[in-house]
Amino acid sequence: MAISPPTGSRTRFAVLVLASVTLLTIGLRDAPVVREVREGASVVIGPIEGAVDTVTSPVRNAWHGMTDYEDLQRANEDLRVQLAEADAQGVRTSDAERQLAELSASLDLPWAGNVETTTARVVSGPRSNFSHAIEIDKGKDDGIAVGMPVVTGAGLVGRVSQATGGNSTVELLTDPDFRVGVRLSTTGDLGTAHGRGRGDPLSVDSAISPTAKVPKGTGVVTSGVDRSAYPPGIPVGTVASSRQGSGGLALDLDIDPVVDVDQLSYVTVMLWTDEG
Amino acid sequence: MPGARRLTPLRGALVLLVALVAQIAIVADLRVVGAVGDLMLVVTVAAALTGGPDRGATYGFFAGLIFDMVLDSPFGLSALTYAVVGYAVGLVCVVLFRPTGWWPLAAAAVAALVATVFYTGIGHLIGTPYPWGDVPAITVAVAVWNAALVLPAMAVMRWVHGPAEPDRFEVVLR
Repeated sequence: MAISPPTGSRTRFAVLVLASVTLLTIGLRDAPVVREVREGASVVIGPIEGAVDTVTSPVRNAWHGMTDYEDLQRANEDLRVQLAEADAQGVRTSDAERQLAELSASLDLPWAGNVETTTARVVSGPRSNFSHAIEIDKGKDDGIAVGMPVVTGAGLVGRVSQATGGNSTVELLTDPDFRVGVRLSTTGDLGTAHGRGRGDPLSVDSAISPTAKVPKGTGVVTSGVDRSAYPPGIPVGTVASSRQGSGGLALDLDIDPVVDVDQLSYVTVMLWTDEG
Repeated sequence: MPGARRLTPLRGALVLLVALVAQIAIVADLRVVGAVGDLMLVVTVAAALTGGPDRGATYGFFAGLIFDMVLDSPFGLSALTYAVVGYAVGLVCVVLFRPTGWWPLAAAAVAALVATVFYTGIGHLIGTPYPWGDVPAITVAVAVWNAALVLPAMAVMRWVHGPAEPDRFEVVLR
């Protein structure tokens, strides 16, 4: 005789699955009620999370001391080398930046360097293995709105995906749902970059000829084309590799983000939306 | 005791809320092989091991629901995943073995694999392509946490619901 659960048990399970699928459908349609529920949960859970975070920080610091020590040593050595290179690069680019700022101002064009900003502290990282978002300690009360770009001194971190009075959620550029228009800093070729998960390079669908050569290390910045969600000129990453895209009509690029999203303590929110 | 029974839903809700706060304020920051543990799954598995498929699915649904409220991932995906995993673990537990000895640890570890694959797969179906390459690391991390915490979590579940009572399915099988 085949073993099967009693009808009551199956019915309850079916109801729960149906309820989950209904919620999933509502969520995928980006219904306002889901946004409101999440904002409400953020308001309630934020202070509790902050308090627990403060109390347990010695334990977490000890954990990081044990598990991250070698990584930190390696990162420290890499950073020393990069800092020296950045110093030299900074001298070379400061004059070009000044000229670009003057030119952008005279033509009334948006430019990342001209945008008003506010600095926020990162209060928590991704909350699950499938989350690609961080929480910051500033929100609507500080002028932050959904869609605003979030950066560090190095480059693009992501965008504000939810804002309440005192805190905000930032969707990281590693999120598989994240999209940003980009341009190669050397040739000006355009493309769309999208995230591929934590620790993986971003993928860029470009219109670059498949026979073109894109050197490794080429800089990639936000394109800022008309109606773009980001002002132009924010560094996004550097080209790690290139390959023929599906169909062989264009190049697809892998780019390493310039920002390490796992090591964020403070970020800068650009008080800028695509409406200007 | 009727009084104690009335407190059961409150205790259950308290356990879920404490697990949620611990997950987002503590566990989410403690990475193992680049991934974090999942206390909501631990609670679901413990509920299934102590109460069978009904309780596993119910706890899974509500654990996933409140987790979805504080995540940026598709709303309802955690609820669906945990409800399915809770039901499956409860079912296997009732049909194949009693939740004693090493079995709970093994069941909790296998539940990590099932939950991770299910979540990633449904994510692809609904247009959120979570990388399959991340699945092994996530499975290892979640399995380690699950195995380490499932026995204490089962003790907590016995505190919530009292001594183990046979699930409806168990009664039928007997």
